[in-house]
Amino acid sequence: MRTVKISFIVLASVLFFMSCQKNETPLVVNTVSTDTVMELSADTIIGLSNGQPVGAGKFTFYSIESKSIIASADSNSTKWDVAFRGTTILTNGGTSGPGFGGAFVYNGTFDELTSISADSVFKVDNAPTAYAIPTGSNKGWYVYDFPTNLINPVPGRVLVIRTANGNYAKLEIFSYYKGGTPSANVPDDEKLARQRYYTFRYTYQSNGSKIF
Amino acid sequence: MKSLVLFCFSVLCIGAVAQTNTDSISTKSMDDVIITATRSPRLLSNIAIPASIVSAKTLYQSGSLRLSDILAEQTGIAVIDNFGKGIQMQGLSSEYTLILLNGEPLIGRTGGVLDLSRITIKGIKKIEIIKGPSSSLYGSEAMGGVINIITEQPGIRKSDLNLRYGRFNTVDGSFDIARRINKLDLQVSSDYNRSEGYSLKPNATQQTVEPFWRSTQQVTLSLPIADKWKFGLTARHNNTYVDNTISVLNGGSTIVSKGFEKSNEYNINPFIRRSINSKISTTFRGYFTGFTAIQELSVKDALGGYNDQFQQRFNRIENQTDWHIRAQSNFIAGAGYIQENVRSNRYDSLSTKRENQIGYVFTQQEEKITKKLTFIAGLRYDANKAYTSVLSPKAAFQYAHNEFISFNVSYGKGFKAPDFRQLYLNFTNLAAGSYSVFGASVAQDEVKRLSDLNAIDQTTSMLNIVSVLKPEVSGGLNAGVKVKLPHELNLQANLFRNDISNMIVTDVIAFKKSGGQIYSYFNLKQALTEGVELEASKRLRKSISIKVGYQYLYSADKQVLSSIKHGEVYQRSIENGAATRMTVSDYGGLPYRSKHSANLKINYENKSGFFTTVRLLYRGRWGTYDIDGNGLINREDEFAKGYMQANASIGYSASKHSDIMLGVDNIFNYKDLLFLPGNPGRTGYINFQLHF
Repeated sequence: MRTVKISFIVLASVLFFMSCQKNETPLVVNTVSTDTVMELSADTIIGLSNGQPVGAGKFTFYSIESKSIIASADSNSTKWDVAFRGTTILTNGGTSGPGFGGAFVYNGTFDELTSISADSVFKVDNAPTAYAIPTGSNKGWYVYDFPTNLINPVPGRVLVIRTANGNYAKLEIFSYYKGGTPSANVPDDEKLARQRYYTFRYTYQSNGSKIF
Repeated sequence: MKSLVLFCFSVLCIGAVAQTNTDSISTKSMDDVIITATRSPRLLSNIAIPASIVSAKTLYQSGSLRLSDILAEQTGIAVIDNFGKGIQMQGLSSEYTLILLNGEPLIGRTGGVLDLSRITIKGIKKIEIIKGPSSSLYGSEAMGGVINIITEQPGIRKSDLNLRYGRFNTVDGSFDIARRINKLDLQVSSDYNRSEGYSLKPNATQQTVEPFWRSTQQVTLSLPIADKWKFGLTARHNNTYVDNTISVLNGGSTIVSKGFEKSNEYNINPFIRRSINSKISTTFRGYFTGFTAIQELSVKDALGGYNDQFQQRFNRIENQTDWHIRAQSNFIAGAGYIQENVRSNRYDSLSTKRENQIGYVFTQQEEKITKKLTFIAGLRYDANKAYTSVLSPKAAFQYAHNEFISFNVSYGKGFKAPDFRQLYLNFTNLAAGSYSVFGASVAQDEVKRLSDLNAIDQTTSMLNIVSVLKPEVSGGLNAGVKVKLPHELNLQANLFRNDISNMIVTDVIAFKKSGGQIYSYFNLKQALTEGVELEASKRLRKSISIKVGYQYLYSADKQVLSSIKHGEVYQRSIENGAATRMTVSDYGGLPYRSKHSANLKINYENKSGFFTTVRLLYRGRWGTYDIDGNGLINREDEFAKGYMQANASIGYSASKHSDIMLGVDNIFNYKDLLFLPGNPGRTGYINFQLHF
């Protein structure tokens, strides 16, 4: 895994600019940051069982706040915010963890989502039947295409995340494959070997507000 | 775009070359009687609907072997390589196009596609092509159009022998004998075709096309049995075999998996015609056809082999009565009964027979209202046992303004019956995510069965609406103009628009506890195709003929179009992976459709029996499959590249009894492993023909 940092000041610079215009003393606190995570492995496939691909069955825990992978020993803590295993994504709350975590799927573009509307309902994980980010093709973040046997993130779906500590983030998944989505004629075993690698970007608002 | 420029350039070059030829000869006039358009012989120029004919001479001079070869060279027809070589007409895919053999439908489709490489062009007298819906005469599948293969009819004494050898050790041998024995006219033909196949990918363990052989035998006879009674019979048998033996080196040891695909097809088509008087005749026809396909793969000492069997039978009896009321007025009426069944281990065990029965009636009136205006109206009603009944009307007008210019307008309804797969499929793919597909008529029961086994995790709301499928229906409008100018210059334009509704798509009805999804079929999609077809032909100094054709095609899923307009559709950028809102101009329409396609054909022929042809075929880029997760064709990498193919042939009649021909297909050696697996690249061949 490789973390590319593109931290930049969005809200802060706008505030700064506006403040300056009004000729007031600027109070610049950068509370919003956007990062891209490349090819985060999520229980990659180690073999076949009854013809079905299987991994080790372990989640990869990730902290949006600290922008880092969290050891699975800390799975029962509030150190992590989201966890990935195959196509299943957990948030730290409900049956998944002790935190305030929750999520919902927003339909629209990442950039358009500048604030979480007040009437939005965050769901929490209730394993094994219901997750805050629904599992299943075209129900949550991905679609499974059965002629080509490929899993792709659905464009226009943004995961709105409440972190373990109750702050907010928006997250967009770009790809589920190492080296990008393979072409359709790639053999099935190569498709399986390359899947379960998440590339995604997220914007985190650390001040507790719902504005990005 | 680059290819288009190249194409135009080539047109100019070849045009210039062609003009330097000065030899002249009168070419025999085309056999331009067409039967398919009205179910009765009519002059092609008098037909009010878009129609064309490919003659036996064109078939020979083009060096075609299989039906797919020659159709790929026709304006407005694309050959799509997907489950075999199927055709696309007016933007409608193979499953919506009816293929007839002497007026009777060919069966044996895979995934809706009728593989036209199954059909040899040997023994074909001509091919008639009708565009636009024709269900008013032919029933199911006649949505995009009808292609009728007319085989050689007995009557003229002849014996032909044809031998051809080409790249990949492709051998084709055929003979054709016609005799009159007392009053019996008999015609026998046979064709054998084999090839070693080829590999587009070097050092691959499996070839792109595996070695195969195919053979076709045909017997046609006709006999006047009494005064005003005539009997005829055509029987045809077709065999194909593909050798799928694969050797794979695994850890030092060779694993051989033996596999094959074979298909067997027979058609028996007897008729009796009675001329009641000079104005009325009636014809009883029987048609009995069967198609069997077996695919087998067995891996020694390992699991993972499979055996797939499919048997289809189609029998029908029909009567058609023609009444020539007066010079400008013709009436036909007919009725028929079809019995069709399928057995397959894809649906159930081979012992379970799935069947359907169809009864139908049809009628048509042709009337010359004024000296310039001709009107055709037709109507057909199909009553089916397995799905709802369909009424298919059609109306066509031709206005011949003068001897130079005429206008045509026609509107017709087309339909396609749900096939057995959509009704009864019972398929589970254990290898790929354990998904299952159940036909709409069995889906509820199958889900209940799995639910009783406690294998269902949850069902979707779609399960409640799975029901008996309705036929897919279309309405098609064609409007054209034909201009006949002096100096043998002909121009033609035809605008078309097809609106298809009740299109059958798959959707998820349940999720299994194992995580796999269960799909079934629904009448949910609405689509449109529209465009224009342009053709021009010109004869120069009697020895050269030049033909140019072009088709512009737009196609779309109507719901998708409406969702895009409402801003509900997104796409993912190739550059950075971010999603943006899609616009109507980003939408690439239905997959496998080229917006632009064109052809240029030049033919030179002189009195000393020498001919040459050059055919340039351009196919613009076409959408393939979704990559960015929205299920649509929109991104640059979701298109296959457009290309140009050039084919040429040269031939000489050495004597009255022998002809020789040399040809090269795909001179530019264009290849595309991913999207054109059926195109092997540059292919040369030599052909000998003997006549007695």
